[in-house]
Amino acid sequence: MITRRTFLGTTLTAAIASPAVVTRGLAAEQVRLCTALSLSGPFASAGQPAEAGTRLAVSALAKDYGLDVSLTMIDDEGNPGRAIPKLIVALQQGVRFFSGAVLSNVGLPMSAEVSNGGGVYVSSVGADEITGSACRRSTFRWPVPSYGAMRQTIVPLIDKHPETKRWYTITPKYVFGEAMLREAQNIFKERNIEHVGNSYHSMTETEFSGYLTNAAAAQADVLAILNFGPQSTNTLRQAADFGLKQKMKILLAWSAGTEQYAEIGSDVLEDVYVGAQYDAAIDSPGNRRVVELFRKNLNVTPSYAMVNGYVTAMLLMEGIKAAGSTDPAQVIKALEGRKYEGPTGDEELRAFDHQCIKNYYLLRGKAPTKKKDKDDYVDIISFGKSFPDAQHSDCKMT
Amino acid sequence: MSVNLLLTQIVNGLGIGMIYFMIAIGLSIIFGIMHFINIAHGAFYLVGAYLCYALVSATGNFWLALALAPLAVGVVAWLAEPGVRRLYDLPASLQILATLGLALVIQEAVILIFDPLGKNVAAPAGLRGAAFFGSFVYPKYRLFVIVFTAAVAAVLWFLLERTRYGAVLRAGTESMQTVELLGIDISRIFSLTFAVGAALTALSGVLAAPIRGVEPFMGVEALSIAFVIVVIGGIGSFTGALAGGLLIGVVQSVMTTFWAAGANIMIYVAMALIILVRPHGLLGRA
Repeated sequence: MITRRTFLGTTLTAAIASPAVVTRGLAAEQVRLCTALSLSGPFASAGQPAEAGTRLAVSALAKDYGLDVSLTMIDDEGNPGRAIPKLIVALQQGVRFFSGAVLSNVGLPMSAEVSNGGGVYVSSVGADEITGSACRRSTFRWPVPSYGAMRQTIVPLIDKHPETKRWYTITPKYVFGEAMLREAQNIFKERNIEHVGNSYHSMTETEFSGYLTNAAAAQADVLAILNFGPQSTNTLRQAADFGLKQKMKILLAWSAGTEQYAEIGSDVLEDVYVGAQYDAAIDSPGNRRVVELFRKNLNVTPSYAMVNGYVTAMLLMEGIKAAGSTDPAQVIKALEGRKYEGPTGDEELRAFDHQCIKNYYLLRGKAPTKKKDKDDYVDIISFGKSFPDAQHSDCKMT
Repeated sequence: MSVNLLLTQIVNGLGIGMIYFMIAIGLSIIFGIMHFINIAHGAFYLVGAYLCYALVSATGNFWLALALAPLAVGVVAWLAEPGVRRLYDLPASLQILATLGLALVIQEAVILIFDPLGKNVAAPAGLRGAAFFGSFVYPKYRLFVIVFTAAVAAVLWFLLERTRYGAVLRAGTESMQTVELLGIDISRIFSLTFAVGAALTALSGVLAAPIRGVEPFMGVEALSIAFVIVVIGGIGSFTGALAGGLLIGVVQSVMTTFWAAGANIMIYVAMALIILVRPHGLLGRA
């Protein structure tokens, strides 16, 4: 029999636990987010669009989540020595929710500091380690790491052009380039592809004609550029100048999206294969909503950098709402294994390593005459999800 | 490595070297004549490249940009030189600080006016794509740059070696006081030298734009290359800058075949070796 006392007790407990009341409780408490991005320096070209996406996520979504959010933006200057002291100050001021970083050399120490400071970090960077050997309970990552980028570009390209048996690679000599090269070599071995050569170069190189001459002399069928950012733009531009597009297929395995395509130009990008985390033309309900939101609020077609900033901030707010609490431990628990409709379709924050399971795309540059609008640079050729499973992952969560 | 590949890399290196020469010659002249350490040199290159981008975007005419951008930078430098003049008597450290500040102001102004994103500058219609000579392939635009730069170098050589202005400049690298005692208006020479140096550097920015695009930090790279070439060639030496540029271009290109990861390092190794053997550079004077 239900007594008046048990009825009141039960309904009160239920009311306290209900989302509406939780949301009202959260709204009373200001949620402080902090995003670190390269807003100045050579990588500001990626940081500034990401900032726009992050700000849009907060302004457009916080209300829907029933949150009162304040956003602090840190300029990481593409330099961990400058970024981490600013991050520590934010932690000391009580901020517990972090997103961002353009470069892995900022994202990796950021992950460690946020973990030490008892916060939650949704990362934007690409290095395998973030959800691999350096994974942490407090860190989640949205982009596909280099493993998936290699699998979802090289393999479909081999399948599409089985006649291409000789591949040449150009790789920056640092951790991200090495990781991509390692995985590319694994695939070449599996698929019986001859790796006819690799040119390493420094992170400050701007003149690639010598490396391209090596690739031409090796009579490769495919040139794979295992790099990102301004250097990869220069490599591609110079490869086109040297007539390599007429001699071989070219793959830029990790592109930055629309901003980079504009920098390269359609005349160079035509028929070049590029790997991408995101493209505005993705046909999914989640992406249609995101594209509409950006067009309505910022009057732009969103690029990868913008969407990366948007999604990482969105995930933090979604975790807080789902947890019904700003306690980082509760938010981490709420995000672990979370499935949601993201811009690339169904996405999931895998529980064992906190990696988002999402698609990676192989695109091909369009001819300038076939562009439908100024941002229409590429066609989607294929996409899919490739991630090391728990057995093969280097992540040992602590 | 085949002989064919080696020859290809050498020819390619000569092409790179001609561009490097263009970047360095302005610095060499200003440094040699005025003994002024201009860290803002890279900013002239940056401004030249961005003016090229703006003019090509507005008019679609690269040739107009090639003519107007260096002229505009040269005129501004000529007008600004009297203001810069007060730096000449300062210690080198203060010259470096002041011009570094100026370089940063120009770089940030470019970001404010444009944005931090890199921009594409298309080569003129007839110079796009590659020229094929049997197995040797070379971009048409780079061939144009080599020929054009060689023509500019010839004009410069004539100006420096066969004209009264050139004689004054060369004398100035030896002893500016003597030149002044001979009744020559040194302030006019300084203004003109600063303007010519800036215009040549802006011209190299225009020429580089279709090869490597434009982005706000390209001036830093140009500055480091220019200093290396000036040190290798000898301060104030026209032929030294040419030799230094070609040497660096060939070393860099050939090393990409032997030891790709160290190609950039070898530029500085070459510089260190030359300083050890010839402290005043290949063609510089003690």
